[in-house]
Amino acid sequence: MLSRVADSLYWMARNIERAENNSRVLSARLINMLEASDTDAVAERDWEEVIEICASFSDYKQEYSTFNPDTIVQYLAFQEQNPNSLANCIGYARDNAKSAREIIPHELWECLNECYWNSIDVDRQYWNLKEVDHLLREIKLMSFTTQGVIESSMTRDETYTFIQIGKWLERAEKTARILNVMCEKARKEAENPEAHHYYYWLAALQFVNGHDAYLKKYPPTISAKDVLAFLITDGTFPRSIQYCVNHVWDAVKDMEGGKVSHYSEELFDAIERVKIEFDEMKIKDLQMHELGEFLDQFQDHCNNIGRIFSKTYYLIEPADSSVGVMTQFQN
Amino acid sequence: MMEMDGKPKSHYEQFHDILNRFSVEDLHEKNETAQLSFLRQGITFTVYSDKTGTERTMPFDFIPVIIPPDQWEQIEKGMKQRVKALNLFLEDIYNDQQILKDGLIPRELIEDNPYYYKEQATGLKIPNDNHIFLAGIDLIRDHNGEYRVLEDNLRNPSGMSYVFQNRFVMRRVFPEFFNSHQICTLEHQLSNLHEALCSHAPENSEDKHHPIAVLLTPGSYNAAYYDHVFLAQQMGIELVEGRDLVVKDDCVYMKTIRGLHRVDIIYRRIDDDFLDPKAFNPESVLGVPGLLEAYRKGNVAITNGIGNGVADDKAIYAYVPDMIRYYLDEEPLIKNVETYFLRDKEAREHVLENLEELVVKNVGSSGGYDMLIGPHATKAEIELFREKIIQDPAQYIAQPTIKLSRAPAFQKERFYPCHVDLRVFVMGGKELKVLPGGLSRVALKEGSLVVNSSQGGGGKDTWVLKQGSDDSC
Repeated sequence: MLSRVADSLYWMARNIERAENNSRVLSARLINMLEASDTDAVAERDWEEVIEICASFSDYKQEYSTFNPDTIVQYLAFQEQNPNSLANCIGYARDNAKSAREIIPHELWECLNECYWNSIDVDRQYWNLKEVDHLLREIKLMSFTTQGVIESSMTRDETYTFIQIGKWLERAEKTARILNVMCEKARKEAENPEAHHYYYWLAALQFVNGHDAYLKKYPPTISAKDVLAFLITDGTFPRSIQYCVNHVWDAVKDMEGGKVSHYSEELFDAIERVKIEFDEMKIKDLQMHELGEFLDQFQDHCNNIGRIFSKTYYLIEPADSSVGVMTQFQN
Repeated sequence: MMEMDGKPKSHYEQFHDILNRFSVEDLHEKNETAQLSFLRQGITFTVYSDKTGTERTMPFDFIPVIIPPDQWEQIEKGMKQRVKALNLFLEDIYNDQQILKDGLIPRELIEDNPYYYKEQATGLKIPNDNHIFLAGIDLIRDHNGEYRVLEDNLRNPSGMSYVFQNRFVMRRVFPEFFNSHQICTLEHQLSNLHEALCSHAPENSEDKHHPIAVLLTPGSYNAAYYDHVFLAQQMGIELVEGRDLVVKDDCVYMKTIRGLHRVDIIYRRIDDDFLDPKAFNPESVLGVPGLLEAYRKGNVAITNGIGNGVADDKAIYAYVPDMIRYYLDEEPLIKNVETYFLRDKEAREHVLENLEELVVKNVGSSGGYDMLIGPHATKAEIELFREKIIQDPAQYIAQPTIKLSRAPAFQKERFYPCHVDLRVFVMGGKELKVLPGGLSRVALKEGSLVVNSSQGGGGKDTWVLKQGSDDSC
């Protein structure tokens, strides 16, 4: 497989996963907003965390000084300058799919393409919440459908593996990011004896669609330790960090036929290091600030694995959309 | 579709009968379904009318062009004859130039041609001596129903994907039509194309029987990108961009996740000028540095050949019938449209006097740009062209406005007659093969003569009917 195509597949998968995750976070927050009876100050803090999870808080602050929900939704869903906006993620995913079109299933492309055209149909200036809600649902469905197509019709070769690795890495990083933001919040709030942290950990579960699964394993009381253990080390929940890392490991190992070669050594080492850290870690024994550090470090590791992965398979940086624009005439 | 007396022509009879059973609402709904299907599948081309480039689907018209078997046989033979002669011409022009020495074609017509790549293409030894792997020949029918050649495309003819997609969508949306017609299938055509491509294995290929072929595209922003995707996918070859290829020790390699892999055959869909910055335009970032040297050494094959443009421009077009007589000693089976060279004083005077009845074209441009359609032009436009011709007569040719045959189209809930043309695809490998049918393009703007998709043209399915129980197509 061409390196450029492998790179497109990897980023296509990451962008689909990112669009789905951000849609879910935004959607969960919009629903919570309906029953939030807290003061404005609390509501504002809640939005802060959503921006931090779905984009970059400092980028947002540079542009805007208010935390008006409309502005935030606009920023997270449509803003062209926000590289992680839903519109951008879908656009990138579609461009990535387009440049790998000849080797992906036809229906995968159709599904992404349709979602793209539907997202274009929403007016980027004068939308209403109903339309946004519809779009969020549509993006989640698109992600589920594309995964279904991939699972049910792709041969288990390198093409498939690159898509999977992109997905697992993106997912692991997102779960780590959510927990990191929540740990930070909880740590700050700890100074306030009145506060109860219940809300943060419930939100974290909702953001990764893990509330139902959590309830089956743990008593219906939500404690920080249990949620963290569940989302970091549970080997059966497909959005826990450990689950994702194990799958990246298995995928790379499969692709390399179980052998470590000189060119893949660095990659195996990097993934293994993360696996070992998990094994050694006892979530329940860690203090909140230690956890925060661990999650910070883990995000760095994810970036590192991504970088080494790209180097190992000669992937290239995603092309800037203005490069390669060509107007030569084809008769 | 109709005879003068209002009855459908015999090969349209069955289609007409079935059509009559639909209500206008049915037709409208089916038509909408067909258009949406193209958008959903992303079968679009890019229009460069604004800076960003807008994606559009080519409008699809569901009324097919139906060609009876005897007529098709004539077209098929005529196309093979024409491409054969054009290929001999290219071989001659880049080698002995016998046709120039014999004075059949004025030497300056070749030497002043911007697509004549003397330095790069002269004396190359190419597989099968074949310069034309894929040709797209545009035909029209005049008022007598006779097919004539309007244009030869020997560089990067696009549109083959539409032929297949038109058929595919048509079959899905209007299955009713297919039961009672015996239509030549397109199913094996892409394996023919693949076979033709692989027959170009270069001299120094490591495995001549299983050469590695790729399709070289400028990338996903190119107007014809869908065409490239479709052909690569259907032939099962890699779709590569210039940046995916590298030349080392005069061999071409593609960059894969497992390192470099040797490439034997490149079906390029980028123009000569962009192929290799070392040999052509040094500014180009699309191509592969060193490609031409690898080609020259016989380490890689490039199709369509380099420098084909010298044979398909509008000035050389007029000489193709002479080429057929010269190289093949045969009379052309499909005629040209009569053409006046404005470099000739006599012709020029005649044309300048009759501009309002003629079509004038710039020999260097295509796609419906820089042309005058006399009967539809304003006085000012005619005067503008008069000046252009006087300033640079060699740059223009003129043709009589042919009373093009028209075919019915269904758009916006009604039928009306439109001008159509037909692009026929000829595949060259060890032998020449013609895709049964081709891309019928229709000028959907009522009264318009321009069928080009960038000027609002659309596509139609083309049916070649089988002869009795003929299974050959």
